[in-house]
Amino acid sequence: MAEDNREPPAGAGTLREALRALLPHRKEELVPELGEKVERSVVQLLWEAAELFCGGRRSECLQASEAILDYSWEKLNTGPWQDVHKDWRRVYAFGCLLKAVCLFEEPGDSAAVAAALKACDMGLLMGAAIHGDILIKVAAVLQAHLPSAKRPGPGLAEEQPSMKKARDDCVSVPDVASERLVPRLRCPSLQHFRKQFLVPGRPVILEGVADQWPCMTKWSLEYIQDIAGCRTVPVEVGSRYTDEDWSQTLMTVDEFISRYVRSESKDVGYLAQHQLFDQIPELKRDISIPDYCCLGDGEEEEITINAWFGPQGTVSPLHQDPQQNFLVQVIGRKYIRLYSPQESEALYPHETHLLHNTSQVDVENPKREKFPRFAEAPFLSCVLSPGEVLFIPARYWHYVRALDLSFSVSFWWS
Amino acid sequence: MAEERRGSWFGFGFCGFGQALGSGRGRQVHSPEPLRTPGAGADVRRVSASWSYTAVVTRGGQVQLSGAADGAAGGCRDAWASEALLVVLRAGRGLGPGPELQAWAPGSALRGEPLWTHTLVPEAEGADGAGGEAQAGALPLLPGARAYVSPRPPFYRPLAPELRARRLELGAEHALLLDEAGQVFSWGQGRHGQLGHGTLEAEPEPRLLEALQGLPMAEVAAGGWHSVCVSETGDIYIWGWNESGQLALPTRSLSEDGKTVAREGEASGLNEGGPEVRRTAGGEEGAPAPFIALQPFPALLDLPGGADAVKASCGSRHTAVVTRTGELYTWGWGKYGQLGHKGTTSLDRPRRVEYFVDKQLQVRAVSCGLWNTYVCAVERGES
Repeated sequence: MAEDNREPPAGAGTLREALRALLPHRKEELVPELGEKVERSVVQLLWEAAELFCGGRRSECLQASEAILDYSWEKLNTGPWQDVHKDWRRVYAFGCLLKAVCLFEEPGDSAAVAAALKACDMGLLMGAAIHGDILIKVAAVLQAHLPSAKRPGPGLAEEQPSMKKARDDCVSVPDVASERLVPRLRCPSLQHFRKQFLVPGRPVILEGVADQWPCMTKWSLEYIQDIAGCRTVPVEVGSRYTDEDWSQTLMTVDEFISRYVRSESKDVGYLAQHQLFDQIPELKRDISIPDYCCLGDGEEEEITINAWFGPQGTVSPLHQDPQQNFLVQVIGRKYIRLYSPQESEALYPHETHLLHNTSQVDVENPKREKFPRFAEAPFLSCVLSPGEVLFIPARYWHYVRALDLSFSVSFWWS
Repeated sequence: MAEERRGSWFGFGFCGFGQALGSGRGRQVHSPEPLRTPGAGADVRRVSASWSYTAVVTRGGQVQLSGAADGAAGGCRDAWASEALLVVLRAGRGLGPGPELQAWAPGSALRGEPLWTHTLVPEAEGADGAGGEAQAGALPLLPGARAYVSPRPPFYRPLAPELRARRLELGAEHALLLDEAGQVFSWGQGRHGQLGHGTLEAEPEPRLLEALQGLPMAEVAAGGWHSVCVSETGDIYIWGWNESGQLALPTRSLSEDGKTVAREGEASGLNEGGPEVRRTAGGEEGAPAPFIALQPFPALLDLPGGADAVKASCGSRHTAVVTRTGELYTWGWGKYGQLGHKGTTSLDRPRRVEYFVDKQLQVRAVSCGLWNTYVCAVERGES
């Protein structure tokens, strides 16, 4: 490894040492095992990059890792995502890893450390695990050397937002009392839940099941920013994903909170359907997996846990998912409406393959002439509050609107 | 289709594997440099570039490789480079009088035995005259237009004869076909709008671009996720993914980088954008144009000054067009210098490559690799 002649600042030296300690030292160990799908030319470039890294030629290694990233990115965008070969995602993760550890020339430059952390996050978001989740370890080390005081990013105007932020008077809380409500049960037995709700596919709100989870008391905007503020996450921008104006973008959690949660944004931003707890294992310790998931056929590792974090007013249009769902409410309240799969025709699903699991109807503002049968379709509704768990049976149509600043955690299981 | 005139070839963009690109020693060439082909004066007939290597075919029938694949061989009429396969059309050898199609693994190209071969039937070449010269440069479309080569299995893919294919181009996940009547067909994945039928749905079989019916096209070109065609009257139609501005439509990624794009409404005749059209703030007259992520219908694109286009070629995420008066315009992803404007800026509007104007060169042809661009040009004043 090339040695610097300068005295590096104390903190920086430990950062570099900490990172070097995480990585394999020999280039033979550095390049991940890959199959035939990855072309010979790419493998050649990976070896070259590994050699440059082990030789301490950081800026050349950075250049090579950019090419690795750009090429594997193209593969990740070719064909349906589920058909993308895992080896390409490993190559992408490898490129992110090298980029992350090569990015800072000037240790102590917090912008460079933030950029390195972003590279890790890109690898976590789109790559596949290499070297035993090394990107998570590298991210943790980088994050530890990026104290909140020195974090670059948007200046936060307000310091202490209220959890129950009452923005305007136009919070329209539906008159739920006039609607048929989702039944509520306190800690039903596994057998009772299975017999009365899982097997027949009936929704129910479970109380007393998640209300003692650490997240219920620990999570706040400050806490989330502390643990995850500098991490890059996908954000949906636009009122709802069926709109023409809807798009997805990446930003740090700090940026998301500053732009879409604390301030009066013209646009709605929603950190939606993101496996945040795989990216940031520290948050995973604040949640559990509902016991009732063991009634399913799948393994615990196969359960998909998603975070749903956004301001008042986020909307998920009426849609159905193929798996069973436990929706755990942590912060704020959500208005949720549920329609049985038997009513599907009256919900006018889109005809395209892309949106065939989504209804064309705007539930709280339906076009009655265009969708005449919708008004007659029976439904259940509720306001889901912190500590409560809603069971949404597989294929059950659901519509969700956040009545407050909201954080929910969903568990998709089979 | 006219043969390429005798001229000199130039290249710019990514050459990280040392493929023929001027000086080629660095990883990127940002401004056109003359190609150094072995055998001075060897007339280059076709350049086909993949990501890590480039294949150059001379009029003398030599194919020369440079980059991650190297080597040379003779008796070659045409070559097509992809990362998975190098495909070469060799004049009839061995078994029959017809030409032989050879597919090589790029790493061991032209040495030992090819991965597979396919002898083409001589009469399927059609009435093209001496040895089917005019068909050269058509790969991956095979002579006789009954089939084409794919870099993914099945490698040999038949085409319905009623398609009467003149030209075929492959993108990362789609295919474009130009027929004898100037009609355009597309098939494959459509999630980026690259098929041009107005949806994001895939098409398993060649489907006619109805939006272009009645407008005879002279050229088609396929990029990674976008499609271009040039009409016989010199108009450019473009559709697909615009994430780096490769459609010459405003893209958010470039404006957020701080590179403000002063729009002058160049992309006229804009059809409905797909579901991912996003509108910027404003909406009054004079407001910034909307950002376009996908364009699933062909959009008419005007070049500055209303120049007529004659040739087009696309890389992964960039586009290059040659005009009737011999100018070259490029736009799209520029990170590796593949736009030739002396930098690495990406562009979401066409810009002329000034090098050729400054050197008094008339551009005659363009051929893009994934991340680079090769150009054939002659001195002004030559015919």
